[in-house]
Amino acid sequence: MQAFLVLLLPSVVIPLWYDTIKKIEHDAKLSSQKLHTELLSEIKSTAELVHPMNASAMNLARVLNASVSGMKLPFSEIKNRVAPMLFQALSITPHVSQISYIGIDGLLFSYYAHGSEIFALYSNSSISVNSSSPNATAYTWYIQRADSDTGKLYGKVITSPPLVVVNASWFEEAMNSTNGYSSLGTEWNSVQDLFLNTAKVDGRGAVSLGFPVKEVTDFLSVIDLHDGSLCLATEDNKVLIEGLPNTQIMVSNDSISFKVVENQDGDQISHVGNVSCKADDRTPKASVLNISNKDYVVYCSQLEIMGVKSVYALAFPYRGLESRVHKSSRSALILHIVMVVIMVILVSMFMFLLVGAARREMYLRAKLIKQMDATQQAERKSMNKSLAFASASHDVRASLAGLTGLIDISKDEVAPGSEIETNLIQMEGCTKDLLGILNSILDTSKIEAGKMQLEEEEFNLEELLEDVVDLYHPVGMKKGVDVVLDPHDGSVAKFSRVKGDRMKLKQVLCNLLSNAVKFTSEGHVSIRAWAKKPSSESSVLASSQKSMLNRLWSFFCKNNEAFKDLEASNKVQKNPNCMEFVFEVDDTGKGVPKEKQKSVFENYVQVKETALGTGGTGLGLGIVQSLVRLMGGDIGIVDKEIGAKGTCFRFNIFLTTCDTVPSDHGKEEDIEAQGHATSSYSYQPLDLRIQSTCNPGLNILTSPRPSPRAEGSHVIILMQSDERRRITQRLFETLGIKVSVLKEWERFLYALKKIRRKVSLSHRSSSGISEFSPRSFRSGSFSSNAGPKDMPLSAMDGTDLTLPTPRKTYARGTPRFILILIEATAGPFPELCRAVAEFRKDLQNTCCRAVWLDKPTLRSVNFRDVPEEMISPNDLVMLKPFHGSRLYQVAKLLPEFGGPMLGISAISQVGKAGPEPSLSSLPTTNRTTPRKSRSRVRLVKEPEIQEVGTSSNQNPLRGKRVLIAEDSMVLCKLATAHVTRLGGTVEACDNGAKAVELVCNGLRNNTKNNASIILPYDYILMDCEMPEMDGYEATKRIREEEQQYGVHIPIIALTAHANGEEAKRTIEAGMDYHLSKPLKRETLMGAIEYTNSR
Amino acid sequence: MEVVQMQRRFVEYAASLFREGFLDGQFTQLQQLQDESNPDFVVEVVSLFFEDSEKLLNDLSRALDQQNVDFKRVDSHVHQLKGSSSSIGAQRVKNACIAFRNYCEEQNTDACLSCLQQVKQEYSLAKSKLETLFRLEQQILTAGGSIPIMME
Repeated sequence: MQAFLVLLLPSVVIPLWYDTIKKIEHDAKLSSQKLHTELLSEIKSTAELVHPMNASAMNLARVLNASVSGMKLPFSEIKNRVAPMLFQALSITPHVSQISYIGIDGLLFSYYAHGSEIFALYSNSSISVNSSSPNATAYTWYIQRADSDTGKLYGKVITSPPLVVVNASWFEEAMNSTNGYSSLGTEWNSVQDLFLNTAKVDGRGAVSLGFPVKEVTDFLSVIDLHDGSLCLATEDNKVLIEGLPNTQIMVSNDSISFKVVENQDGDQISHVGNVSCKADDRTPKASVLNISNKDYVVYCSQLEIMGVKSVYALAFPYRGLESRVHKSSRSALILHIVMVVIMVILVSMFMFLLVGAARREMYLRAKLIKQMDATQQAERKSMNKSLAFASASHDVRASLAGLTGLIDISKDEVAPGSEIETNLIQMEGCTKDLLGILNSILDTSKIEAGKMQLEEEEFNLEELLEDVVDLYHPVGMKKGVDVVLDPHDGSVAKFSRVKGDRMKLKQVLCNLLSNAVKFTSEGHVSIRAWAKKPSSESSVLASSQKSMLNRLWSFFCKNNEAFKDLEASNKVQKNPNCMEFVFEVDDTGKGVPKEKQKSVFENYVQVKETALGTGGTGLGLGIVQSLVRLMGGDIGIVDKEIGAKGTCFRFNIFLTTCDTVPSDHGKEEDIEAQGHATSSYSYQPLDLRIQSTCNPGLNILTSPRPSPRAEGSHVIILMQSDERRRITQRLFETLGIKVSVLKEWERFLYALKKIRRKVSLSHRSSSGISEFSPRSFRSGSFSSNAGPKDMPLSAMDGTDLTLPTPRKTYARGTPRFILILIEATAGPFPELCRAVAEFRKDLQNTCCRAVWLDKPTLRSVNFRDVPEEMISPNDLVMLKPFHGSRLYQVAKLLPEFGGPMLGISAISQVGKAGPEPSLSSLPTTNRTTPRKSRSRVRLVKEPEIQEVGTSSNQNPLRGKRVLIAEDSMVLCKLATAHVTRLGGTVEACDNGAKAVELVCNGLRNNTKNNASIILPYDYILMDCEMPEMDGYEATKRIREEEQQYGVHIPIIALTAHANGEEAKRTIEAGMDYHLSKPLKRETLMGAIEYTNSR
Repeated sequence: MEVVQMQRRFVEYAASLFREGFLDGQFTQLQQLQDESNPDFVVEVVSLFFEDSEKLLNDLSRALDQQNVDFKRVDSHVHQLKGSSSSIGAQRVKNACIAFRNYCEEQNTDACLSCLQQVKQEYSLAKSKLETLFRLEQQILTAGGSIPIMME
């Protein structure tokens, strides 16, 4: 619509412009008319100019009249008297070319100029008046040359045919008029036309002066006509000036008619038109004629020249100023109109296109809305499907549980060893598989429904990793694949206590590990983890840029989703305690093809070629990815080096670290360690704190820098698995320990010999000074601090024994302590054993310990096969997998990390009885694998030593008072028995209220009796579900009460629920630990240890 | 001679109880807790369990008999029963309780009733087996023998 407004402007401007142009045209017309009129008047005035010539004939006649009056005029007289006068007049009067005297009787004398010569024409005989027809012979004209100065005749006389002048009309007219008469005539010799002015002389003759027409018209033709042309003609149709080419003019009745001569010969004559010359008023009328295809404006008027009445016509080309203006204005107008028309066309085209585009947009919008509707519908459908799926799976699981129960029941009924039993066992296996698949499907649908929630709980990440690896180690061993835990830079050990969803992390790790083991047929699977500060700077920077863009984007698109996402991720990283943990599961299996790497994480996708025969739903990695994302991280496949086999999955998650460092030393060292960690990354591995699992809270900070002593310990490793060897080597190297690694046992023997030779050489040559490290003392104090349970009495004795021994000469340049790590399967055991024994024999001042690594299933270490003197009581047998806590345990054997300087003194006592301190001083009681540790002890030692160990462990609760709140009598009795057996005294009650009362009373009594507060109970075992007051409520009350006294009694919760949710609830209620029923001694011990360590 | 025979019978019977799943490791733990200071510990605990369970089973039948079953209460009863049975190592009673609880969550009265029957059956079975075991034990003691240590 606006486009049409554009048309408004030209439609206003054009009329204005047209009006102006019209005015200009009018002005031009006027001026051209004025010009024409001026020209006409000029012509008129020019014509007036020649008027005085008329009078010259009259004047001459008058003079002649006076001289000849009264006289007879014979020819002689004429010749003598008149002729000189005529000659004079010819000479004097301008423009005259012929002058003559004509007698009435026919006598004639005339002069005329022909070129520069003057001729005389005369007739000396008269015409008889009577005879009407003059005799030709009698009347003759003669022509004789005359002198141009005097007028005297001379020369030959020529006769010329006479003309009867007397009878000529002009002569008669002149004779009758008094004022003379003008006419147009010819010269005597008919050369040119003349204006003849004739006047009568005394009634007997007449004088006639002839002016050449040419000379007169020349006056007119000098006038500048401005492209115009002038036609002149007498009234009796004698053309004087022919102005227009190829045109004849005819004068008749005051009008001029124009005729055009078409071709050269003049035969084609066409009439063009008449122009009236009657002057009605002063201004002559203009009329337009087309002469030979040209328009002319013709003005016509009467004019008297030399007394001859004549008519003239002035023709101007029509294409004058005015017409030019007219024409150009017209073409401009046309141009304008054309322009407007084009504009209209363009505008309408534009409008057309616009409308088309708008229509298309409307169409697209409609389509988009339809599409969005469809998408929403599809989403709704899929959501409903997922929900139905979830509920269906739940139902299936319920019936499956029934099925499992029924199978269990029937299994008990059937006769053992029968076919039905094997079938039942198979069925049970099937249901277990089914349950596993169902669980993964349920997980998927849970994640899809967004119902998956993180359950935060505190746990030890290091332990978790080790557990997971231990779990898959046997599976891997069965296939010949080594599953290795790589401590990497030890950062996980530093931040091992973290808060997060333990179960889900374990699920992720288990899934990845089981995949890795499943798809690896040879080589190794290694899992490594490290912690790092969330790279806040870079991420903040990136996010701020991103957020700017996002802001813009969301401003335009009204799409805030991305923004929200960003905020969420920022929130995760804002927590100062938040650490980013990166995990890598690296295998040497078939690997995932590059193009499949993305789709591996999609649900229900399996890499077909490799999945053959391995089974599974293809949900595993999808769930893993979802879980990892739930924990704020991401998972991906890391590109391995070229040529390296297998796949490396890497994921990162964010966990909150619990920076509760239990011991005071630990705190200091922790600060120190962190200082180092921030100052330089390269030192970080040296700051590794080895945290023993048997006594949590005992942190041993390794020497930040290599000690100034010349030689520390030396570790010799014989291992077959490449990856494990590499990792072990690196660990010791980062600890600053000298390491030699060997793969084949033959080389091992050789290497031992070499070292032995070197050591004995240096020993002989040197006279070193004893340099006992104060660190060893410190380590001793460390051990005694660790608690009576972990370091039993015999350990104290051990330190007493070992401390004074190293006060001997110490060889500079020889290692103080040699630790030999031998994989028992690497070679024939007796050979290795012998080699080690020989090696040890030669070392006088160096402490040497051997650690045998053995398979848990297939024992190859058998001390019964070797002579007793070869076995050192200090030797240890460890079961594989050798990593994590076991690796640290071995590292702790080194004196640098608090290991006792054994062996030198022990050598003298080799093989003989008596309580050997070494073994029990070692932290062999591994909480996670207590049974293994026991068996280990049995292998090396005589049974009495075991009894020493166990008896000291028997009564860890000696002298402790324990309150048990339990409503079920059975459980109460049981718990009482357990505690009593462990040496504690028990007080029992059957509901929460009573427990609260007991605690309050105890607290009150104790404060009354004593200034310092003694806890009424050392531990409280609290059942969660009790009548009257449940365990949660009771715990809350007790905690409130305690606040008044500023004490904290450890409360251990007892529940029959096994899931983490319940455990979380107990911790939230203020309890310290959670035990699930049935109560077992080991778990109770674990709980008590845990609470002690806090 | 008779004592030795009785001891062998006792061991075999106990082993069959473990094999058939009536008892599990928890019962061994119970036995380990018995010592000179507490000679009748196992019998005491088990009889406590019987009393407790009978009371609970009665409560359960009453609760399920009602028009509007209070599943929360039923659940807590079963939960208790499960706790005590698992504590003495009556494995099959415990397993039956687990299935029972699943149906409690679904609030399925019929299934609950059938489960109750199953639990009752398992309970009486366990009771009779344990009583037999104790009788054997008593016989050995009266004959002047010692009770052999049971192995898992």
